[in-house]
Order: sequence, then structure tokens, then C-alpha cells
Amino acid sequence: MATRVEVPALTRPRTLSERLVRIVTRSPVHIALIIIAAIWLVPTVALLITSVRERSDTLSSGWWHVFESHLTLSNYSEVLRTAGMGHAFLNSLYITLPSTLMPLIFGALAAYAFAWTRFPFRDTTFLFIVALMVVPVQTAFVPLLKFFRENGGLNTEFYGIWLAHTAFGLPLAIFLFRNFFITLPKDLIEAARMDGASEFAIFRRVVIPLSVPALASFGIFQFLWVWNDLLMALIFVSDPSKQPMTVKITQLLSTYAQEFHILAAGGFLLMIVPLIVFFALQRYFVQGLLAGSVKS
Amino acid sequence: MKRRSWLVLLAVALTAIVASFAATGYGGKAKPAAKSAGTIEVLSLWGGSEKDAFIKVTTAFTQKTGIKVEYTTARDFVPVIRTRLAAGNPPEVAIIPRPGVLSDLAKQGAVKTLSSMGLTNAYMKARYGPAWIKLGTVGGKLYGVAAKANSKSVVWYRPDQFKKYKVKPAKTWAQLLTLTKTLKAKGATPWAAGAKDSWTLTDWFENVYARTAGPTKYQGLFSGKVKFTDPSVGRAIRQMLQILNNKYLAGGVQGALGTAFVDGIGRVFGAGAKAQLYFEGGFVGGIALQQVNTKLKAGVTINSFPFPTINPKYDSPMVGGGDLAAAFKDNADVRAFLQYVSSAEAGRIWVSTGAIVSPNKQVKKTAYPNLLVRAEAAQVAGAKVFLFDGSDLLPGSLADDWGALLQNALQKPGTINSLLSDYQKKAAKEF
Amino acid sequence: MTTAPVARRALSLLSLSAQAPPIQVPQPKRRFGRSREGSLKERLQGIAFALPAIAVLCLFVIYPAYYTVRLAFYKSDFLFSFTNWVGLDNFKDLFEDKAFFDVSEFPPSGAVFNNVRWVIIYISLCLILGLALAVLTIRVRYESFIKSIIFIPMAISATAVAVIWLLVYSPNADIGTVNAVINAFGGNPVSWLGKESTVNYAIIVAYVWASTGFAMVVLSAALKGIPTEILEAARVDGAGEWSIFRRIMLPMLSLPISVVTVWLFINVIKVFDIIYVMTAGGPGTSSRVIAYTMFTETFSGNPGRGAAVAVIMLVLTVPVMILNIRRFKSERVMT
Repeated sequence: MATRVEVPALTRPRTLSERLVRIVTRSPVHIALIIIAAIWLVPTVALLITSVRERSDTLSSGWWHVFESHLTLSNYSEVLRTAGMGHAFLNSLYITLPSTLMPLIFGALAAYAFAWTRFPFRDTTFLFIVALMVVPVQTAFVPLLKFFRENGGLNTEFYGIWLAHTAFGLPLAIFLFRNFFITLPKDLIEAARMDGASEFAIFRRVVIPLSVPALASFGIFQFLWVWNDLLMALIFVSDPSKQPMTVKITQLLSTYAQEFHILAAGGFLLMIVPLIVFFALQRYFVQGLLAGSVKS
Repeated sequence: MKRRSWLVLLAVALTAIVASFAATGYGGKAKPAAKSAGTIEVLSLWGGSEKDAFIKVTTAFTQKTGIKVEYTTARDFVPVIRTRLAAGNPPEVAIIPRPGVLSDLAKQGAVKTLSSMGLTNAYMKARYGPAWIKLGTVGGKLYGVAAKANSKSVVWYRPDQFKKYKVKPAKTWAQLLTLTKTLKAKGATPWAAGAKDSWTLTDWFENVYARTAGPTKYQGLFSGKVKFTDPSVGRAIRQMLQILNNKYLAGGVQGALGTAFVDGIGRVFGAGAKAQLYFEGGFVGGIALQQVNTKLKAGVTINSFPFPTINPKYDSPMVGGGDLAAAFKDNADVRAFLQYVSSAEAGRIWVSTGAIVSPNKQVKKTAYPNLLVRAEAAQVAGAKVFLFDGSDLLPGSLADDWGALLQNALQKPGTINSLLSDYQKKAAKEF
Repeated sequence: MTTAPVARRALSLLSLSAQAPPIQVPQPKRRFGRSREGSLKERLQGIAFALPAIAVLCLFVIYPAYYTVRLAFYKSDFLFSFTNWVGLDNFKDLFEDKAFFDVSEFPPSGAVFNNVRWVIIYISLCLILGLALAVLTIRVRYESFIKSIIFIPMAISATAVAVIWLLVYSPNADIGTVNAVINAFGGNPVSWLGKESTVNYAIIVAYVWASTGFAMVVLSAALKGIPTEILEAARVDGAGEWSIFRRIMLPMLSLPISVVTVWLFINVIKVFDIIYVMTAGGPGTSSRVIAYTMFTETFSGNPGRGAAVAVIMLVLTVPVMILNIRRFKSERVMT
């Protein structure tokens, strides 16, 4: 378990005076933390409040006057219907789900190969994939656009962006899964091999069930990454009826300029899914962050 | 263990299948697959009230022909058009405010010629004056139909406020400066500018330059024959700065640079607005009336006067803009649309919204709904010298760079000469 | 570019910084050539498993990278084909373009130097804040609550971050939080995003707000990995908290810190979304960065020059690639 840089239980304050002393000496820490946390929350809160205020209010007074104004959900309905954010929400979903599943599946398969099978040039290829993790997407999108155009008009459907996201998510997936897979007990795998199981059976029955945390955390990361992405969507989803929420918001910005009540509602809609995913699956998220890392 | 992993794989596979079905079935509903059923996509940069005006035209077109029109707004229409061309799914038609961009694309073969689509030279000549035909012509072939026109030599003001401050519209630059100083002395904020959108600054420059250096040099500058390092250019910029500075601009230079074009209109004409004068094109009237502040009354709380003369030798050349409709695909629906856009009926409907002036010769003056657009139409028709918006004529990325240069000049007047010489180096390569 | 990719890199960098060997039965001494052993069946199946991924990578990452490098030597057209060979002219033009690279006066400016500014300020702020928060939160009971608050912005899109901070920075003192605070103290509102001298710092602050959570979580986890015995021993010896921090904690955190730094650096090279939405590179060209220049050049008729910028970006990531590979090899995390 995590060790705490705290006074061990032996010296926990017993008497009231000891407690008071502790509070006083610790109060700078408390104060600092509370102030920092409050400042951190302000921008998001400002947006949330602005999204439920009336237009005339947002144009004339700041969000801190929230208690003097009446609140409304009309901004959300306008953004969803008229501005097409509801449609864009579905687009975001259609783009994100396959873009998360494909690198997950292909990455796990490849990672298993790199971790538990032996074939020529295995380690060199893996090192190469490690190197690929930091290649920026800018080095690829121009040729990819051309490639997709010339090969079946993949840009008019979602296939183009699925493939692009998969390609750029694979190095990380392979790297993470491989590092996780090799921590699995060798005996289990050797035993299964000796029982005559095929590699695929071992993969399916031994490795995958034990790797759910790692799969989940990459899945979450990739999901957030694709959901929140703007640049790839701008380039590979040029059909306006297929554009996800991130692109839709930039269009809202040009049409509605300073009409923050609309922009705030749109922005919040964009944020909701990642926030839900984050809070609901925080366990996996944090576990993944610490997986195979610092000694604990 | 066994069952769980099966279930996991099954769930994964199912989701993937459902997703791809949904996506392709979904895609089937959207435009690209369904386009054969009489729908075309038109792309342009208008939003808000300008877009609503155009939608009236397309609705009439759909009623008449049954062909549906989907309109797409694009804030950065140049990257959007180029991305879609590169991706292989361009819109059928784009209405482009920049002949320079049209020229670039036409030279590379991305645009269809009008004659190949049934719009003959004779057809076009019957509807448009030579200036408009020349604009849409690249390498001797016609590519663009002039869809709308606007004067860009208009200064907007509030007549009721002028009465209050006892000032009058200006006819000469000297009078304009006096007007500015008087307003300032009486405690008002004289000017607002939407300098965040750099094209508003380019319009300022073009009007001042045309009036200080003359139409011939103007044409030369924007076609590469006159260098940007010519002293007349720097002089014109400095002249602009006599008004566009911290003393007379709402919010100062920084405030203006942080204000977008429509918000700038709001600074003068919005409810509770503080500034008095706003320079931009004739389209400001429509946007102000229909979008920014619907309580405005033409002639009472909003009016315009022509951009004043500076050098009496050059009088008042009109700088104007226009949008050209060009086609990236050729089919019966597109041809029908282009023909409609160039018809008198479409022109009439469009101008009746008060948003535009039509370059179409066949549209009658009586179609204009209010005195603001009538004045603008008269200015467009009666202009002795008509100069197309220079920066829209510039090729490649020069147009955006020119706007950026003016934004930089506004902030650092001391660097004007070095900015111009760097720009000239870039320009020399493009021309 | 959002904070989620920063988090992805958190995942990978943490795996990279693995200090403990895998938990398993002791292995026979490993030799590199062992990958050539194994039955034919095993080898074939292994290759079959890896093939789809490798095929995707070759088609969609490696071949395009080659194409882009080649394209950088042409002027090209709207279809991105190899037309108009210009040799090194694209690179020359880039470095002569004052919007990209301007060393004619001090301090230097241009997109390249904006990235330098980002590297220095963004990385330092994230590290300092992250470290401070890690050290502070560990002492309180509501630690995870605070950490969640700081971490939330990591989950949201850079586009959403941009919208949030556009509201915060509004030059209208009635609407914008920052200017309202300034107003309340008697100052004049400032157009943070409209002023050349402040715009870059304003954007950096917004992105630091979004990214600090990552640094904090990583460093906090690392901090907890420091054995209490060492700290207790130091306290018993009479060392003060600050001195413990400087002499014991920092050195033991040097690996996580360097790994966080490396990934923040990659983030800086790629930053695009937030600038595109907040200022479109403005006012003028003062908030442009390299990735933004790549986008504008490619889509305003100069794909060749855009490709040249992409090549520059690639070159900048090479040191990181080498670092990653070296670090990985030295970890000996291989079967």
C-alpha cells in the first residue's frame, strides 16, 4: 500500500492541546491547498454557470452574479437542436468507439506476441515501435489524406479517421500491454503450452482475463484521447454531417462569437462524457497510471 | 475463466460490428451517398443574418426545382475547401469572397469552367458588367459567377448621436479628423474597429491607399507590379493610424485587436453601445439591423456616409467586394443552381433581404428594401471608379499575411518599414 | 492536443520508469539470441499475432512519414502530389519567414521561439506546481479530493479548455473573471488575448491549468514510494522539512521528474488545438507555434512548406526517441 509521509500512529495527537498544535502548524498547508483548489475550480464553474444563464445576463454581468439571475436550460436545447450538437454527439461516439477498440484488439494481440512468443527480430521490432510512440501526427496526415482519397474514398465515411487513430494509438497500446503481459506468471503460460494449447487459446484464456486492468486503462485513455481530439477530426472528417463535437464547437465560435451562453452549453456537453468516464472508471485510470511504475 | 473471456471477446466483436453497421448505415443517410437524389452542398463563410438571407434564395430554388440545397458555414473557408479537395469530397459549389483563391484553385484544375457547364459567355455578358466577368476569369476562361457585391467604402454612424453632439458626416479626410477630435473632446468614444478579423484592416488600407496613391497604383500594388516597399504604401498605413490609435479607438489598439468584426458593430450599434463611428462594408447595415440590434431604425439610429476623399485628385474611388460562386463538380443539379444564382429572380429575392447588393444587371433598383442598401446599390452602380478589394485578389497565403502585417503595424508603428520589406520578399515569390 | 494524450504518455512513461523487475520466478540468464529459439509453430503464430498491427503501422505511419519527408522538397498542389521540385527552398523560406523564425532583433520571435517559450514556462510551471501539490496533499486527509479537483481538467478536451479560458480572459470586465478581479482592485481591464506581449503567456497558463494534474499524480505516486524509514531517520537526526525535501526527496524523484519532463516536451511540440481555438495564431502571428504553422502552410496552398515544418517537428522528436529506447533497454525488462 502507499506509504504516507505522515507521523506514524504512535504519535497521533491524543490531547486537545496536541491536536490544536497540529492544526496550527499544519494550517498553512490547509490554507494553501484550499486556495489552490478553489482557484482550480473557478474556470470550470464559470463555464457551467454561464451555460445556464440567460443571454442578456451573460452579456451584461459576470457569472458570479449567479444568484441574482434566473437559470434556464434553454441554452442546452438551442445548442442541441439548432446548432446540431446532438448530431455531433452521435458523431463523436461513432468516431470514438471503433478508434478505441481497434488499437486495443490489434495492440493486445501484437503485445502478446512480443511478450510471450519468440520469433526473429522480435526485440528489434519492439524497440522500433517504442520509438514510434512520439511521432507527431503532422508527419502523416497529408499523405494519409491522399491515400484515403485515392483508395475508395475513405474520407467520405468514417473509415479514414478510424484507421488514422488506430495507427497512432497502436505504439502506445503495444508498449503498455507488452510491459504488463510480461509480469504475468510464466508458469501459467508454460503449463498451458505443455498442455498443447495454441497460442491463441493461451491468449484468450490466460492472458486476457488477467489483464483486464491494463486493457481498461488503455481503453479509457484512448477513448478520451479520440473523443477530445480536434486536429485529426478537422482533417479526416471533412464532411460536415459527420463532424464530432470538438469541430462543431469551433464552428459555434465563429457563428456565435461572444455569445458565451451558447458556447458554454456546447463546451459543457463536450466535457460531460469524459468527466463521466473519468469519475466512473477512476479506479482503473489511477491503477493504470501506476501500473508497473514506481515501487509501492 | 473460460466463459468470461468468451463473453469479453463476444462483447468486443458485437460492439465493433454494431458500430460499423451504425456508421455506414448512418453514413448512408448523410449526404455523400444520398447526393444523387437531388441535393447539392453549397459552402461559404456567412453565418448569422447573412446566412439567413442566402437561405431564402436556396429555399426559393428548392421550391422551383425540387433540388435540395445544404448550406455549410466555414469560418476558415480556405483551409476547409483545401482539406476537402485533398480528401476527395469537396462541396458541389463554393461561394468564395476571394478571386485570388479562385484563381489559385482554377489554375490547378480544381474548378470547373462555366462554359463546360452550359453558362456561355453570351449568357454571362447579358447579366454582368465587364468588371465582374473579368473577376471570375482565369487564364481566359470563366470560372466564377458573381453572386453578390458589396461596397467597402462606407462609414457607419448613429444619426441620433450625431444630433446630440451636433456634428455632421465628413466629406474629406480633414473633416473626418476634425469630427473624430470633436467627438473625443465631447467625451464620446469616436471609433470602434473589429481588428481581430484582420480583413477589416485591409479594407481600411485599401480605401486610404486608393485615395492617396490613385487607382492605377492600387491595381499595380495588388497585381505585383508595384512593390509593397513603395513609399506610398507606408504613407497610407501611417495615414490610417491617424485614426486607428489608442486615442480614438474603443478599447484602444489592444481592445480593437481583441474585438471581432460583428462585435465591433455591436460596439457602435448594440444596446448601450458607446462608440460612434464604424467603418466597413455595406453589409454592416444588414448585420446590424437583423442580428446585432433589431431595434435599430434605418436613417434614425443607423446611417452611413461614403468614405471621405483624401487627395482631391483621386476623388472617391469605390472599393468593393464580391463573392464568386464556383463549382467543383459538374452535374445537372449544379448547373441548375448556377443558372438560378445568376438569374434576376434570385437576385431580387436576395437583395430584398437587405443583406446584399446584386452585381446582376437585370436586378432592378426597386427591389432594394431600405434606404441603407439603396444608397449602397447606388454607390456600386454609380461608381466612377470601381476597385475590387485588393487583399482578396492576392494569391496564396499573401492575403492572410497582409492582414497580419496590418495588425502588427497597428501595435508597433515604428516597425512599418521593416514589416513591409519582409512582406515584399514573400510577395515577390508569389507573383 | 489535450491533456488526455499527456495522460497516455503518463501511462507509458510510468511503465518506462519501472524500477522493480517483474514479479515472477527467477529466470535463467537471458541472452539476446533467445528470440530465435522456439518451435516453428510458435514463431509462426507469434508473427501472425503481430502482423496486423505491424501492417497498420507500416501503412499508416511509416510510409506516410517517408512521403512527407519527400514532399518537403516540392512545392506541391491541392492534391498533395509531387509537383514542382524546389529542393531545399521550402526550408530556406521557412527560416527567412519572420512569422516562423525571427532573429533580427532581441528577443527573438516567431513560431519556433514561441515553442521555446512553451518549453521553458509550461514545463517549469507544471513541474513546480505538480511537485508542490504532491508534497502538500500527502499531508492531509482529504488528499484524494484535492487531487481529483486538480486532475479533472486533464480529462477534458483542449477545445473545451480553450472555450473555458476564452470566457475567463474576456476583455470585458463585466464578463471576464480575470479582468473583473483586476477591476475590483482598481486596475484597468487588459485584453490578454489581444495583446502581443501577453497572449502566449495567457495560453500557456490555460494549458498548465489543464496539465498540472498529470505531473502531480505521477510525482505523488513517486513520493509515496520513498521508504518512511529514511525520512524518519532524517527527522530523528533533526533535519527540517525543507532540508529533507531538498536532500532526500528531490534526488529520489529525479527519475520521475525527468520522465514527466520528457513527455511534457513532446506535448509542447505538438500543441495545436488550444491555440487554434483561442486565438487562431493571433493577434497577427504572435501566438503561432510550429504545429500551427504546419497546418496553415499546408492548407493555404503550400503543402510542400507544410511538409517541411512536419520534418522539423519529426527531427525535434528524435532525441526523445533515442532517450526512450536507451532507457527501455537499460531497464532490462525483457523475457
